[in-house]
Amino acid sequence: MLAVTLVTVKCVNPGFYEPTNLANLGVQLVPFAIMTVGMTLVVLVREIDVSIGSLAGVVSAVLGLAATQDHWNLGTGMAVALAVATGTLVGVVNGCLVALMRLPSIIVTLAMMAVLKGAGQILLDGKWVSSLPLDLRAIAAGGVPIWVGLAVIAGAYAMLTLHPWGWRLRAVGSHPEAAAKVGLPLRRLKILSFTLMGFLTAVATVVSVPQLSVVESGFGSGWELFVITCVVLGGVSISGGKGTLFGALLGVAVMGTMRSVLVYLKLGDQAVYWERAIQGGLILVAAVADRIIALRKSQVTTRETV
Amino acid sequence: MSRALLLASLMLLTWACTSPPSADKKEKSGKTVICLLPKKKGVPYFTSCSVGAEAASKDLGDVELRYDGPTDGSAEKAAEMIEKWTAKGVDVIAVSCNDPGALASAMRAARAKGVKVVTWDADADADTREFFVNQATPEQIGFGLVDTMAKDLGDASGEVAIVTASLTAANQNEWIKHMKIRMAKYPNLRLVAVKPSNEDQKLAFDTTRDLMGAYPNLRGVFAISSVAFPGAAEAIKQAGKSGKVLVTGLATPNDMKAFVKDGTVTSVLLWKTEDLGYLTVEVGRALAKGELKAGATEFESRRLGKVKIAGDNVLLGDPMVFTKDNIDQFDF
Repeated sequence: MLAVTLVTVKCVNPGFYEPTNLANLGVQLVPFAIMTVGMTLVVLVREIDVSIGSLAGVVSAVLGLAATQDHWNLGTGMAVALAVATGTLVGVVNGCLVALMRLPSIIVTLAMMAVLKGAGQILLDGKWVSSLPLDLRAIAAGGVPIWVGLAVIAGAYAMLTLHPWGWRLRAVGSHPEAAAKVGLPLRRLKILSFTLMGFLTAVATVVSVPQLSVVESGFGSGWELFVITCVVLGGVSISGGKGTLFGALLGVAVMGTMRSVLVYLKLGDQAVYWERAIQGGLILVAAVADRIIALRKSQVTTRETV
Repeated sequence: MSRALLLASLMLLTWACTSPPSADKKEKSGKTVICLLPKKKGVPYFTSCSVGAEAASKDLGDVELRYDGPTDGSAEKAAEMIEKWTAKGVDVIAVSCNDPGALASAMRAARAKGVKVVTWDADADADTREFFVNQATPEQIGFGLVDTMAKDLGDASGEVAIVTASLTAANQNEWIKHMKIRMAKYPNLRLVAVKPSNEDQKLAFDTTRDLMGAYPNLRGVFAISSVAFPGAAEAIKQAGKSGKVLVTGLATPNDMKAFVKDGTVTSVLLWKTEDLGYLTVEVGRALAKGELKAGATEFESRRLGKVKIAGDNVLLGDPMVFTKDNIDQFDF
């Protein structure tokens, strides 16, 4: 799927493969890759978090206000710490409400989304935070975001495959009752997932905000949909338990390059209303192709066993 | 439960304290009393408008201006102020309407009591006011953007792209329509793409970067939402293309000052806010004196000369262009 897209764009506009563009694309995808890692953990335990877009907005506001001189002026290090703490705290709250109060995560995080949206607007008060300090801007310069992204992916991969948490999370997602019976700490694992989601949303925001010169209240809007689409497209089962990190990240690659590729295909100024439909169509094609391949595979194996 | 009751009564009490009983008698000063209501008081944009309004009332001499509005931008408080002014029997109320639905009944009640009501900056339902002092029509904005780009490019040729708000934003779509009409005047100016940014600065940033990659000959970007403008400018700056790829749009001068000074942005468009305040006061006074009536097609302004009236819209005129030569004179 990704291959088809990439070949098409190669034929139409080889400029897409300029090294600077590929590097740009990498930096562009990193925040989403980081959040997708978090969302994969949450979806694996059969939950969902729709508050991450608004959380990114609040974290960006905290980061911007804390770092700039004419606002809280706490210095860049402190600002980053505060931003990450905010994200993590919201994650903990989400996790506790879901796991301890046994509330459906869609309701908890939907409410949280509204709360955070309001909080972000209160913090920024309709104004922009501009003149971000240079040492904050440096976070997004060069390869820093890419290294952070790789570190997050490596860490999550290690956790999911090497550490017992990996199979425990899957177990909780695929069969919660059974998991509870064998004595797995169901609640703690769910809280852990949400906490990491909040933490990673904050990390993604911290590497993404300094790319821009202005923090405003629209930051992060719609990110939750983008990230959830990536996860589902990547083959992570929304009913929990099944799916790989690699698949989800492939989802990010498809969704992210798609947006960029649509610009490079030069569809002209008339095509603008078509793009959503094209994007959705490509996703459907990908899903169908995926299914056909899976069916073929299972047929082959049955034939072999017979 | 009792705590909720206590809270409610407390809130009621504070509300009662903050809204003093209104004096129900007409004030007599001989001057035309004009109340200018901004969407939100204390915002630099509206403060700048009020400076112009103050100048108008000084120039005219027979006007008493009251500039007041909710500091939190709430429509309820705005409606309360309109009611208060109506009760005091002022002559004119000029409203920058932050919520047509919420203000309609207060505005209608004011008109029923003989107060002349006009809107400025942001319009309300047609039957709640007599005139709207319109700072910029979609045509003026669309034409202004294209003309500015053509002028900044020097030879008015090359590939240009639009980064808009969302594809459903009515204002922007209306501007784009007029931009396309105006582009016919510059045959060498070619619009290659229109991309949404969904009020997401990051998306505007990423999209502008992709546009520059996909169209290596791109010479200009119209970033026509307040969020898209800094996002697009930042992408151009980081790509080292400041001055090579031009970007223009609508914003307040303060928001884009840094980009104008470092050469990334050549021109920023916005209407003359002080003139908007000035004209609003003049229109209000003329209405109260009976010098301006429905159906008029022109209005004589002291500062602006003859201004056009289209239907019930008094038109401020072409937008202002801020460049590095004049941007320091403005602080809003």
